[in-house]
Amino acid sequence: MTKKKIGGMEKRMFRQYLIMVLPGMLIFTVGLIIPLFLSFRYSLTDWDGMSKEMGFVGLQNYIDLFKDQNFRDAWWFTIRFTIFNTVIQNVAALLFAVALDSGIKAQKFYRAAFFIPCLVSAIIVGFVWLKMYSNVLPALNDLLGTNIDFGLFGKGETVLTGLLIANNWQWIGYWMLIYLAGLQSVPAELYEAAKIDGAGAVKRFFNVTIPMLAPAITICVVGITTGSLKVYDLLVSSTKGGPGRASTSVIYQTYATAINGRQYGYGSAMTVTLVVVLLLVALIQVKGLRSKEVQQ
Amino acid sequence: MKIGKRKKEKDLVPSQPYTRTTLITQIVMTVFAILFLAPLFIIINYSFKTKKELYLGSPLSLPQSLNLENYEKAFDKLDLATTFFNTFFYTAVSVLILALLCGMTAWAIARCKRKFFKFAYVYFIVGILIPYQALFLPIYTIGYKLNLTNTRYGIIFMYVATGISFGVFMMTSFMSTVPVELEEAARIDGCSVFKTYFTVVMPLLKPAMATLIIMEAFQIWNDYLLASLYVSKKQLKTLTVAIQSLFSAQSSDYTTAMAAIVISVLPIAILFMCLQKYFIKGMTVGAVKG
Amino acid sequence: MMKKVMSVLLCGAMVASFGVTALAEEEHEPVTLSVLAGQSTTDAGIEDMIDEALAEKYPWVTLEWECVDWGNDFQPKMQQYLQSGLPDIMIGKAQDVATYAPMGVLAPIDETYLDKGLDAARENVTIDGTTYGLVYNALYQGVYYNRAMFEENGWEIPKTIDELQAIIDDCNEKGIVPFASHMVDTWSIGNVTMQFMMNDVFNKDPEWGDKFRAGEVSFADSEEAQTAYNYNKLIFDNTYEDTFSTEQTDCDARMVLGEAAMKVSGSWSIQNFLDIDESFDFGIFPFPNQTGDSKLIFEPNITIMTSAETEHQDAVNAVLDVLTSDQELAVEIYDYTKTASMLKDVSPTFDNPSQTDIDAYAAEGQIVDVTLGNNQLVWGGFQEENAKDIAAWLQGDITFEECLAASDARVDTSSAS
Repeated sequence: MTKKKIGGMEKRMFRQYLIMVLPGMLIFTVGLIIPLFLSFRYSLTDWDGMSKEMGFVGLQNYIDLFKDQNFRDAWWFTIRFTIFNTVIQNVAALLFAVALDSGIKAQKFYRAAFFIPCLVSAIIVGFVWLKMYSNVLPALNDLLGTNIDFGLFGKGETVLTGLLIANNWQWIGYWMLIYLAGLQSVPAELYEAAKIDGAGAVKRFFNVTIPMLAPAITICVVGITTGSLKVYDLLVSSTKGGPGRASTSVIYQTYATAINGRQYGYGSAMTVTLVVVLLLVALIQVKGLRSKEVQQ
Repeated sequence: MKIGKRKKEKDLVPSQPYTRTTLITQIVMTVFAILFLAPLFIIINYSFKTKKELYLGSPLSLPQSLNLENYEKAFDKLDLATTFFNTFFYTAVSVLILALLCGMTAWAIARCKRKFFKFAYVYFIVGILIPYQALFLPIYTIGYKLNLTNTRYGIIFMYVATGISFGVFMMTSFMSTVPVELEEAARIDGCSVFKTYFTVVMPLLKPAMATLIIMEAFQIWNDYLLASLYVSKKQLKTLTVAIQSLFSAQSSDYTTAMAAIVISVLPIAILFMCLQKYFIKGMTVGAVKG
Repeated sequence: MMKKVMSVLLCGAMVASFGVTALAEEEHEPVTLSVLAGQSTTDAGIEDMIDEALAEKYPWVTLEWECVDWGNDFQPKMQQYLQSGLPDIMIGKAQDVATYAPMGVLAPIDETYLDKGLDAARENVTIDGTTYGLVYNALYQGVYYNRAMFEENGWEIPKTIDELQAIIDDCNEKGIVPFASHMVDTWSIGNVTMQFMMNDVFNKDPEWGDKFRAGEVSFADSEEAQTAYNYNKLIFDNTYEDTFSTEQTDCDARMVLGEAAMKVSGSWSIQNFLDIDESFDFGIFPFPNQTGDSKLIFEPNITIMTSAETEHQDAVNAVLDVLTSDQELAVEIYDYTKTASMLKDVSPTFDNPSQTDIDAYAAEGQIVDVTLGNNQLVWGGFQEENAKDIAAWLQGDITFEECLAASDARVDTSSAS
């Protein structure tokens, strides 16, 4: 084959590959990327989201963001929610998976029990836990004669805990299934070999189980982190960002500002900021986790 | 192969007598399972109560009779036949399109080494991080300009657009497990890229696609924001949107809301029970490196 | 009974045939109108009643309802539709007219229909001489109190804040919770704050909001506004300990069961009260102010607006006609929502224990329309956000000064236009 021919064929193949990628890219661009750019454009204006006029204000909105205490607080809440969620959900899901894989009976029953909550939409989860904290759990006090304060959504200090419980209740089972699937595909020989080498249960867990679960860990960590940073639905039907502003997430604050507060331009600046942060966080995360996967 | 072997051993496990560890594990997990199921029990319990019982009795007490009035009301208010069909339809069509598109895209990205495809990968991944919740108004603007709002294909379009990032991410990470040799053989036989993909590669992707479908289906089934944005017409409404309006409108009557929750969750819960095996098989693929 | 039904049917048939002949020359292709209804908690369900009445009189008009929660979703939906075209009919609150009419997107309401309504609420839905909203019902806001409990303890209706304090003290001594409240809902804080503002601020200076925007007054400097904010603290210190975890229905239930003596609220509570115990006896009085001349608060509620660009004005008018001339429907809606009529010669027939109090205040002219305040200081973006700050202050997260400063900093969003 001549060089030219190879070039021609490669070109043709390239074109065919291109055709396979383009439809998806097009839909993605129209549905998500263009709105993002529109958002960026709005963020340079003082548009209220309704009227026909739209004044250009340059980077003023971004400058204002840094002075906005409410926006900072929303970030602080979101970051805490995300970090706790990522740690708790991963650890709990993994432990649950290990427990279910340890040879206990009725594995199927447990799997279903933990998994069912994630079939429920976050809107419903928020509503259900609102009732749990305000009505159901306090009734336990009457029953047991105790005096535990179950009103977790009612205080700024406890609302995060309340939401974490609700969110973990919903999602632990989901990630657990992924870990469980990972665990069950770990070849038994590896454990046998480790046993022969004299490794204890804990050592086997860290030296065999964890490395073999690396792909599952990547999926779970990235999924939980990005999901938590975008928390919104859960709040809509439960705390509505309160009490006060104690559980206002970045998206919730953006929504309240851009839509209810009719400061669409300013709200758009919040969106753009959030996207940039999300990008940075995930970039670091994926890079870090993937490099670990490659190592073994 | 290895999986098969392990499974056989596993089948033997339940007949083994308890060791101290497994016994403790069993007890602890039972406690957790009860805790996890408790809210579900509460929902069901509430759904049978009358308004009077709700206000005057303890939330933990059982209803005096199995009164189905809340269910009748909820059934009616949710317009269940319509909303259920809609939700199912949007979900099913969206995930099928997603499986098709993501498979193609991910394979092309994995196989073609040109710079453009590297860029395409990063481009798609960025999408996972875009909080479409915060793009409320521009998403709507785009939607009505393209005549997508209040149409079935419009909402499906948006589900595909918002779901494709994760799909490509997942499928691309799976591609490394697909043997290149078969493809090369096909190419030498003169197959075009398309033919290679559809006849050789796609069959190999089936398990990965199953995972993808399951993961995306959850998202779409439970989506609230996009649905409330794109399909506000009564005959196009989804289950979550209908339920949410029940929450806010009927705050004084949450026994009905509870019945609505039961109605909406029950079918997929049953589906899950029946298909548990397949769910888990599907998930194995994404999470396990071959 | 049979007679009544028959007469109704006959009337209906007569009106219908009249309607048909009147409009006979126009073609009556079936028309479907889109309706966006921003509802309060007690309104849900009236759409079916309207559908039914409409089907009887104008079977060629069908309504396609989109019912959303007014507080959370009405404004977002409107914002959305302002880009793509408004629904034919919008149902919101009186204050929405001030928001949307200046944009030129609302159509004036025909005098034929306005004439059937009371004049009382027209002022605040009229912009530059043109009326853009049809006010259908009204709520009263003030302090709902347990009448039996007041009699038992010999409490008089308080006129001044000192008298109210005396009752509170007596309650606390006797182990009664003075106020029922549900602060888990930020809107309830915003609502009572506006009640306090009406009587302590707008009562003295009806243009306080405009002056606030002009920079003449501010929350940080206005003693009256601070007093109004401070009443929140008074309530918070004298309510359920778990008020920030208590929801509306539970709050009302606990009051009906005798746990609390009073509740700063509005007519929407009546539905709850009577649902729990239909013989619950309660009255209403305005929350006292510093000067002892508080007025009972009146809020025009369901307000019908129509799009300036509707293609089916005749069908829209048919709907307005049904709403204003079908008295059976009106009574049904008022009885269901437990609200007051804003139509001439129509009164609800439900038993409202607080009606005698309302009548007494009305007779003395001690009633004020809260739309005055709501138009000057809008709900979304201002009152709602301030309420969050007040909640944060009550929770001890921020100081009172910070709370006031935050309201002042929000001056740009205090008006819709």
